[in-house]
Amino acid sequence: MDFGLSKEQELLRDSVTKFLAGRYDLAQSRKVATTGEGWQPEVWRAFAEDLGILGATLPEEVGGMGGGPVELMVVSEALGHALVIEPYVDTVVLGGGLLGRAGADRARSVLEAIAAGEAVTAFAATEPTSGYVFHDVSTTARREGDEWVVDGEKTVVTSAPLATHLLVTARTSGERTDTDGISLFLVDFDPANPPAGVEIHSYRTIDDRRASDIVFSGLRLPADSLLGEEGGAWLSVSRGIDEAIAAVSSEAVGLMRKVLADTVEYAKQRQQFGQPIGSFQALQHRMVDMYMEVEQAVSAAYLAVLHLDSDDATRARAVSAAKATISRAARFVGQNAVQLHGGMGMTEELAVGHYFKRLTAIEYEFGTAEQHVARYAQLTKG
Amino acid sequence: MELAWSEADAAFRDEVRSFLEEKLTPELRRAGRLATSVYSDHEASMEWQRILHERGWAAPAWPVEYGGCDWTQTQHYIFSRESILAGAPNLSPMGIRMVAHAIVAYGTEEQKSYFLPRILTGEVFFCQGYSEPEAGSDLASLTMAAVDDGDDLIVTGSKIWTTHATEANWMFALVRTSKTGRKQQGITFLLIDMTSPGIEIRPLVMTSGEEVQNQVFFDGVRVPKKNVLGKIDDGWTVAKYLLVFERGGAAAAPALQVMAERIAEAAAEQPGPSGGRLIDDPAFSAKLAEARIRTEVLEILEYRTLAALSAGRNPGPASSMLKILGTELSQTITQLTLEAAGPRGRVYQPHITAPGGPVADYVPPADGYVSGEEWQAVAPLRYFNDRAGSIYAGSNEIQRNILAKAALGL
Repeated sequence: MDFGLSKEQELLRDSVTKFLAGRYDLAQSRKVATTGEGWQPEVWRAFAEDLGILGATLPEEVGGMGGGPVELMVVSEALGHALVIEPYVDTVVLGGGLLGRAGADRARSVLEAIAAGEAVTAFAATEPTSGYVFHDVSTTARREGDEWVVDGEKTVVTSAPLATHLLVTARTSGERTDTDGISLFLVDFDPANPPAGVEIHSYRTIDDRRASDIVFSGLRLPADSLLGEEGGAWLSVSRGIDEAIAAVSSEAVGLMRKVLADTVEYAKQRQQFGQPIGSFQALQHRMVDMYMEVEQAVSAAYLAVLHLDSDDATRARAVSAAKATISRAARFVGQNAVQLHGGMGMTEELAVGHYFKRLTAIEYEFGTAEQHVARYAQLTKG
Repeated sequence: MELAWSEADAAFRDEVRSFLEEKLTPELRRAGRLATSVYSDHEASMEWQRILHERGWAAPAWPVEYGGCDWTQTQHYIFSRESILAGAPNLSPMGIRMVAHAIVAYGTEEQKSYFLPRILTGEVFFCQGYSEPEAGSDLASLTMAAVDDGDDLIVTGSKIWTTHATEANWMFALVRTSKTGRKQQGITFLLIDMTSPGIEIRPLVMTSGEEVQNQVFFDGVRVPKKNVLGKIDDGWTVAKYLLVFERGGAAAAPALQVMAERIAEAAAEQPGPSGGRLIDDPAFSAKLAEARIRTEVLEILEYRTLAALSAGRNPGPASSMLKILGTELSQTITQLTLEAAGPRGRVYQPHITAPGGPVADYVPPADGYVSGEEWQAVAPLRYFNDRAGSIYAGSNEIQRNILAKAALGL
């Protein structure tokens, strides 16, 4: 057993951390999020060109570095620590994984563009009636001549307003919640000029990302838009979601390390009753509980990351254990970081408020703690 | 002992219902239903206060001689619950529910006859000036100075977390008039005209994006001594009396019960985490049931306390307990609402909510698009704002300190 990073992984972590410390300013990032275009494309290009992190986990033949789950964890945690809002999980983790497993020529060219920082993908999967149950797919795709025709509605598609490509789940056979019969489609996309048969409404999310609701009504796609087998996308999709969960779990670790450090520092500085509030035992115990939640979160992220390449059932079980733990920790650490900062924690003036909003989104993203406890129970009942 | 309602109570409920049915316009109902915090939209709230005042119901908890209602505890409960069910906006607590009680108890005849009727009509709208940047939980360490100058006090310093400071025309404030003795001595309770020269207001943007809270700066502001409430240097006595009303002077249970009922309705329409309806998910329905049980118990606890208050007894440390239980239960419920909202709960769309103040750096969609339903748009904002419940009015940590001492003698 070895929890150490290799020299190359340490170098990757240090270079990302150093880059973000010098180039990624929280105030600037919030400004583009609220009143700008929603992200910093020049930072994204630098991720590809100066740091190489967009290709860190992609295969070498598409211009990547061929890294695996540990590289994914190292990058995600560093991005979380700096509260990066750019679409790493949607594009590199979900897009990279789904396209990589599809193997087709079109997919390969998009992968190359992702590694080069030229493509942004969004995963259009949640629907008005699906919650975070990703095999609950009502959107349909049917063959018509050489084309596919897609009808249905997707909601809260994160990164769609920035995307050059959509990855859309649609049902080609079976009942609404069957895992069989789900297909995956690659759609060239320009949010400013959506193709005929696509209606898009875009907005900001509570954690300062951009997302869209998308309605497909008779969208026509060329035959080669289908990625992988018709009706056989679920294995790849469920794996992609598990990889995304491992990434947001690692991101949450970065976020929580930062808010815990900020909270402890604030408790040392803030004076009330003639002494630092960090000297009060009730608050010390709370911060120790936060610390223990963070350490469990780190361990949970390891559990997920180190099982990403295991068989499907082992991977799913480890990922659900991780997400249940991370959701609980994100809530406890986020809420108490706000509480211990007092009124200042309720404002946009300190970092903690912004981090709390991202931690809140992560609590629910890709399924709540309860949902993953239920999946874990299902997988372990023998 | 009796829990059931009498025939008179049922008749009163019908009277309240028909009044609400007749008087609540769609705009007012919207402000109540879509409020993102305990602070309703200011305009709507003042309009509703005006309508209630016409009926004599703006300040039912006041003594009858000043415009209150001669109601039983059950009637107060019925009025609260029916108002919330009908979607009435909240009234601002600072005047009617807080400083007015201190004016009744400590005010001069001149102060009572000037302020009380004007608070009722809304002509006088109070904000609260207690916390300072360096005096939060340790409120008694406040330093905003009021220096003696003949008939006046000259006030210099700063207050923070001042809700609706920009809307208010009066502030009740704690100021430092003496630095000798214990820090609780030398504090004076002052009523300050917000139109006085030398006052500057800086809005604070909250995590919900709303500008409801402010920092207020005072630079040599002249306040006549006739606006001291109680005695100079004895303001702590007044503040302590008022804190009982701030922390536990109103029943939280009716609103919490309505919020929990709404979750049950919404969860019947939302998808559950394992397929099916959310309300049929065992984990979610158990959490919701547990929260609803706590609201039922809180209701009885609140009325035991209010009964003591109306019998003229000081409920003492019970107000600290009610503050903790009410705010933490509210946080549980707003969290459950956000969970029920599902993926839509992540969408930031304050344009279809009714926030308590302006929203910073937000451009609503040109076509007014809404993702999901109104309550799903309110859910995240309400969740973020509700985190303040365990911080304001004396943090819940401070309330636990008070209880350790006052209830347990530790």
